[in-house]
Amino acid sequence: MISEREASKYPFLKEAASLLEHLEIDIENLTDQRYRPILDRGEERVIQAIRYGVVGGGLKDDLAEFLSFPIAVMLVSMTRDPFLERRYALAEAVRARRLLESEDEGRIAEIARGEFRWRIKVQRREIEDTIYSFELHFVDYLRNSSSFREDKWRLINRILTEGYVLLTKAEAVRLLQVEVEELIRRLSSRRVESNMPEQIMERLGRIKRTLDESRSSIGDSALPSEVIHGAFPPCITHSYRTLTAGGRLSHIERFTLSSFLLNIGMEPERIVQLFVSASDFDEGLTRYQIEHISGLRGSRTRYTPPNCMTMRTHGICHNPDSLCGKVKHPLSYYRRRASELRMSPKARKDR
Amino acid sequence: MAEDWGSTSFLEEQFRRYYRAGVAKVDPPLEMERREFGFLPFDGGVMIRHTSFSDPSQLHAFIMEKAPAHIYYSSAYYREPRADMESKGWIGADMVFDIDADHMETPCRMNHDAWRCNLCGAEGMGRAPERCPKCGGTTLEEETWVCDICLDKAKGEAQKLLDILIQDFGIPLEYLKVNFTGNRGYHIHITAPWIRGLDQRARREIVDYVTGSGMRIELLGFRPGVKGSSPLHGLGWRGRASKALYDYLAKPPPRLLEEVRRGRGKKMRSITDSRDEILKVLGEGPPSGILKYLGRESLNRLMEEAVREQAAAVDTVVTMDIHRLIRLPNTLNGKTGLIAQPVSVEGLEDYDPLSSSIAFKGGEVPIYVRRAPMFRLGGEKYGPFKEEPASLPLAAAIFLLCRKAARIGR
Repeated sequence: MISEREASKYPFLKEAASLLEHLEIDIENLTDQRYRPILDRGEERVIQAIRYGVVGGGLKDDLAEFLSFPIAVMLVSMTRDPFLERRYALAEAVRARRLLESEDEGRIAEIARGEFRWRIKVQRREIEDTIYSFELHFVDYLRNSSSFREDKWRLINRILTEGYVLLTKAEAVRLLQVEVEELIRRLSSRRVESNMPEQIMERLGRIKRTLDESRSSIGDSALPSEVIHGAFPPCITHSYRTLTAGGRLSHIERFTLSSFLLNIGMEPERIVQLFVSASDFDEGLTRYQIEHISGLRGSRTRYTPPNCMTMRTHGICHNPDSLCGKVKHPLSYYRRRASELRMSPKARKDR
Repeated sequence: MAEDWGSTSFLEEQFRRYYRAGVAKVDPPLEMERREFGFLPFDGGVMIRHTSFSDPSQLHAFIMEKAPAHIYYSSAYYREPRADMESKGWIGADMVFDIDADHMETPCRMNHDAWRCNLCGAEGMGRAPERCPKCGGTTLEEETWVCDICLDKAKGEAQKLLDILIQDFGIPLEYLKVNFTGNRGYHIHITAPWIRGLDQRARREIVDYVTGSGMRIELLGFRPGVKGSSPLHGLGWRGRASKALYDYLAKPPPRLLEEVRRGRGKKMRSITDSRDEILKVLGEGPPSGILKYLGRESLNRLMEEAVREQAAAVDTVVTMDIHRLIRLPNTLNGKTGLIAQPVSVEGLEDYDPLSSSIAFKGGEVPIYVRRAPMFRLGGEKYGPFKEEPASLPLAAAIFLLCRKAARIGR
């Protein structure tokens, strides 16, 4: 059985979950005064994730600290907010990465194998000025590195031999962070009963309020997770309406519209369908172009739409409004308008 | 009636006879019940798709009945291979590398390939230009032919690819299948179970790896302060790229020398001037020593050129595709009448596609040829032909008919 200390460090491990089963804690008992610090800490985990993007600190009592994790996961899943689910998962994953950095190679490999079924070997090699500590099978490597954009993560720039990619300790732990994030996102997107005791519902209320208050400031760095049509800048609304009304768009308008939609998180396939259904565009060619712009093909650069000045030069800046005067890029317009809409619940319905 | 170039009913009959005698040689793919099959008939109709078979005898019976020009199966595994694309339920896919001489620059293309503008009718030899030089039209028809030089080049690319897959990716031989396509190239299948679940992004990374795309030399150890021995013995691309650079500089291709002569910057000249020193650094290390003679950017550019020699030229789009239909091994290729034939990894070196893959044995057939370059089949050379009758052995006649370059009769 896993120690309480280990469970408090890595509460997402399967072994930790079995410890929880072993303890046989009932939801009804949660309201017991004794558990209050656990509920407080659970709430704190989520609040820290919202405010700072990382979960820190912790209770001295290992068991209580461990138990606060399932509470936090439950609170996040009760909000049914995909944005919070992602933000919380990332914050817990960053916490785990920091802890893993101080583990020895054996323990890191043990977690990677046991929890995520990685084919990983501990193998120290010094090549030039780098100390590699691990060899990871390329399939596991690719699964976790494909969202990274830096050149150093590209397979071509790695040392790959007999099916294994050489990794430094920091790199292995960084890839584990991706797995942990994915795991926690799965856990917190599970639907739970929303009929909970008062002590829980109060906490849920506080979390939602904190989330709403923080959204605009977090939103500056992250785009909203769903596409909000009401937040499109006038130029994009113009092209979008032209297209859906069966009108013709110039090449640069098509590029601007598709790169805009990709960057605000619309699925490439939906954009393809938008173009194909609204006009006589060739599906294969459209898909090729959209995948190109998204970075799936070609140079792998993910394109962003042109900035406002370039759009004016091309004569595709239409009906600018007051917010346009304050931004220089259609995506900045979208971010700001989207967070405004989020703040006022009335406006959300107009989407 | 328009002239029946290709005499399709004759071809269909020949294909049927072939399959009646030898359909048992058609090996179904691994887990055949999860694959989609596709058949292109001789009559020019649409592809028969979304079919599946639960055992080899069903497949064989179908092939004998339809005698299709081309037979394909999905590299993907589906829960419902017969359903339409949206509801097939993708489980995974083998990775199939497509190596096709169509994508390679071979000098012989000027001798055997031709193009024709659909708009103005202008014609020329070699690869079709982007636009018709006469009228600027963009719809050009291209006619390509197999030849020994093209096929040797494709084989060379296949061997480089196999080296990378075996040495770097550690793919065991039992999961590597090499097939001559029956036309201008090779397919290399990885059927290892652990490959199947990879998404397009991951496959893109693998394709970039084998084609040497996106390499940054500073990440291969060519950066200031790096100590160590000769990079020629480095693992993976480190060694391969260093060897590529060594070979490239040891006997620089005329193109590089030409660029230097044309004075493309001082840097290019310094490359040839300090060639001996660079070769010495590559042979003895440390890799960072090379930066004394070459700037980072020019080294990157030079490496890119050099690496092209060591990288495998695979068709990126086909190889990344996770829904592709792939030619079924041991079936006839309707563009040549040759067998799409499995070759062992060890046997590839000595494999002669234009002899081993001949399916039809038989006596002379009188045909009328509209145009064909000289070509070889087995030990014999035929042609060139231009608007003339000829009497050829069955395999050669079928080859020309499949190319739609001839018809039965005088």
